[in-house]
Amino acid sequence: MEFSILVSEFASLTFDGIVVGAIYALVALGYTLVYGVLRLINFAHSEIFMIGTMTCYAVTLVLGIATDTDPLTLASFTLVFLLIILAASLASGVSAVILEFVAYRRLRIMRASRLSSLISAIGASFFLTELFRIITESRNIAFPRLVDKEPIFVISSAYVTFDKVLVLIGATALFFLLNRVINHSKLGLGIRAVSQDETTSVLMGVNASRVVSLTFLLGGILAGAGSAFYMVFYETTKANVGFLVGISAFTAAVLGGIGNVRGALLGSFTLGLIQQYSSAVLGYNWRDVVTFVILVLVLLVKPTGLLGEALQRARV
Amino acid sequence: MKKILVLFNPRDRFGDWWDRATSLQRGMFRLVLIGLFFALPFINNPVIDTPETSFESVLFYPLVMFAIMAVGLNVVVGKSGILDLGYVAFFAIGAYTQAVFGIFTDLNFWLVLLLGMGFAMLAGILLGVPALRLRGDYLAIITLGFGEIVRIIAVNTEAIGGAAGLTGIPSPPPILGMEFSVQDLRPYYWLSLTILLLVLWGIVRLSHRKPGRAWEAIREDEDVAAFMGVQTFRYKLWAFVIGGAIGGAAGVIYASQILSIEPKMFELNLSIMILACVVFGGMGNIWGVIFGAVLLGYLPEKLRFLTDYRILIFGILMVVMMNLRPNGLIPRKKREVILEKI
Amino acid sequence: MARKVLEVNDLTIKFGGVTALNGVTIHVDEAEIAALIGPNGAGKTTIFNVVTGYYAPSSGNFLLDGKSLVGQRPHAIARQGLSRTFQNIRLFGDMTALENVSTAADGLNKSGLIGSLFGSPRSRRDEFNSRKKAESLLQFIGLEHRAGQLARNLPYGDQRRLEIARALALNPKVLLLDEPAAGFNPQEKSELGQLIRKIREVGHSILLIEHDMSLVMDVSDRVMVLDFGNKIADGKPREIQRDQRVIDAYLGVADHDS
Repeated sequence: MEFSILVSEFASLTFDGIVVGAIYALVALGYTLVYGVLRLINFAHSEIFMIGTMTCYAVTLVLGIATDTDPLTLASFTLVFLLIILAASLASGVSAVILEFVAYRRLRIMRASRLSSLISAIGASFFLTELFRIITESRNIAFPRLVDKEPIFVISSAYVTFDKVLVLIGATALFFLLNRVINHSKLGLGIRAVSQDETTSVLMGVNASRVVSLTFLLGGILAGAGSAFYMVFYETTKANVGFLVGISAFTAAVLGGIGNVRGALLGSFTLGLIQQYSSAVLGYNWRDVVTFVILVLVLLVKPTGLLGEALQRARV
Repeated sequence: MKKILVLFNPRDRFGDWWDRATSLQRGMFRLVLIGLFFALPFINNPVIDTPETSFESVLFYPLVMFAIMAVGLNVVVGKSGILDLGYVAFFAIGAYTQAVFGIFTDLNFWLVLLLGMGFAMLAGILLGVPALRLRGDYLAIITLGFGEIVRIIAVNTEAIGGAAGLTGIPSPPPILGMEFSVQDLRPYYWLSLTILLLVLWGIVRLSHRKPGRAWEAIREDEDVAAFMGVQTFRYKLWAFVIGGAIGGAAGVIYASQILSIEPKMFELNLSIMILACVVFGGMGNIWGVIFGAVLLGYLPEKLRFLTDYRILIFGILMVVMMNLRPNGLIPRKKREVILEKI
Repeated sequence: MARKVLEVNDLTIKFGGVTALNGVTIHVDEAEIAALIGPNGAGKTTIFNVVTGYYAPSSGNFLLDGKSLVGQRPHAIARQGLSRTFQNIRLFGDMTALENVSTAADGLNKSGLIGSLFGSPRSRRDEFNSRKKAESLLQFIGLEHRAGQLARNLPYGDQRRLEIARALALNPKVLLLDEPAAGFNPQEKSELGQLIRKIREVGHSILLIEHDMSLVMDVSDRVMVLDFGNKIADGKPREIQRDQRVIDAYLGVADHDS
């Protein structure tokens, strides 16, 4: 266990933790929004994210950007990146809507058991992962370095590079956008209503099915955007990337309090930091174990999470 | 419309015969069926044979191995309604027990078998005690994590082989004069078939008594089961432990045949495949589950072009089954029982 | 002086900002049929949920036969003699009627899983006893012809009665019935009344939540009234019928400002 690294690299770890946390947050919001309206963990949300990453790569292929390309100018990069993020958001959003329609809708209408929905979700998740594994022939997909990653400036040990700044700014912008949607739009009202009480919402004229679809769309768009940032930052993906990112994002959502949007944000940044610190001390190998342990601890000690709402129990 | 369907339902026709059959008739039927399964290696023919892999090999793995694990997972998921996504962990623990004790010690195979089951049961308790207090979704995720953690520990622990795994795992000692060698897989098949039968005997017994009722009640409505005096936590834990023991046993036997193991063999995919067997066969229905395991194990081997798409098909299958036939291909429809006067 | 078999003392329970029960004190005497009435949302089912261990009270306690049950889990409370039925029928749908009742009957015996697996003498005896008990209860309630049928296939009335039989399998000192007459026609309600009296005769006390006043008047020895989490009346059925506070609670007090 190397505690010295933790001290010497503290600024770097902290900064990176926040950046990673921002990416997690974009995915975690998808989990939390869907959980809010369906009281269901969308197991296949991780694959929605993965589809986003694949779309990012596909865009670079279409644009003819080679993997060893020179970094683009700011103007070109802006254009290319906008294209990528739009495409990925669209792809993930649409995939999410289709996913809901195929795997969850019928079960929701039939008021099937939770177990059935979970199994359906798992089936979908595996189908998608395997589909892309076959398409990508189990290879790691390399993403071109679109932008120069030399540090713009350095704070203590932290290297502030363009891509990290991009993630932070972009994610923040999206959070504000989401906040507008949730709190100041009709859709947001619908989401909040259905989250509280579906039956009454329907009686009050809310089209629950529409709200659910749009919630999935929203979650998908966020995950797609997250995938664009992910690709610029990590520059690689593979068919099962969804699994590990998903577990981290999900843990973040639970840590913050599932169903709670602010909780998803808090949880994501917290988890990002914990992951960086623990990787420094225990080694990168154990990062996922640490994540699981956190998940277990939260669920055992404070299942409502840091900011969470009470876990609903069946009304007797 | 429904009446006509009932008339033509072979399962009901069989069920009717079974209800009217005497003890002797039932016993004979069982004997013949068991005999048939044991004789399978001898009645192998081009119709049922599997291309590319020897029939005996397929019979052993995946058929009987899947069947044993499916029965084990069925107790947890099918009967008790607890979604366990990390079942492969028990299989891995059994396999590694056989590997470690077989290679590094001189312990008797049967003792190692018991040890493997014991370790798996212990793991079941370790996982169950914290996890079973949680609700379905969270429980599922934690079991998933558990499965992954076991694998990651195996990869990161050099003492048990690390990522490369262990080789040179000994075979079981000769039984009834039969040698367990690399060439002939039939003894392995017969051994595992025997284990499957023992497991079946135990599970069916439990199902018809208090534990079976308790598990079903828990699955139907856990809160109400508690109101009716069922010690829900205890029985859920038992389901985990029993499922674990069964998975562990399968793992020990598997390792003794395959001679070398590595963590890559015990991935999430296997948990999902076993789950697919349970789902496909009808949750809780033990015969359906075995049927599911046999079908899902056999078809990809028989129809080779399917093998590469196996997981793809399993995934789609689970979505389709849950949406169209949530009760499985052979539903757990209980036979309307004629009450005997005590 | 009748002995109190179930006592609820000053029970308060809050859910977030809502006080569902506010210092409620009720009791059931031995061999009594007591009714708990009140407008919807008054907290009647909440009392059931608290005394059966599903919710923990914020303050106050409850005693069965003088023994405090606070803090105990539902299955422990059930085994000590407090069982219930549910407002929305909650049977084990995929199990037969006999199995439903047997499961509850199992609750009283101590045999474990190992015993069942290896056929220990105790487990065999328990198995036999559970079955006998279940069968005799089905007979008692008039459902022996339905024994082998799946609970979800039973007609509505039979399902309600099966729930009662299941609850009786725990040999309860006090049987809690939550709106047992919901959806019944007058004939069925009258039969239910007879059944309830029969249950009292064989030695159980009954606490009944009901909206149907004719049944309540017909069968109860005593009626307690809840409104907004407070007990507002407690007395003989006839007295309660004339109690002004009760009438106000049900009909709503006129708004004096309008």
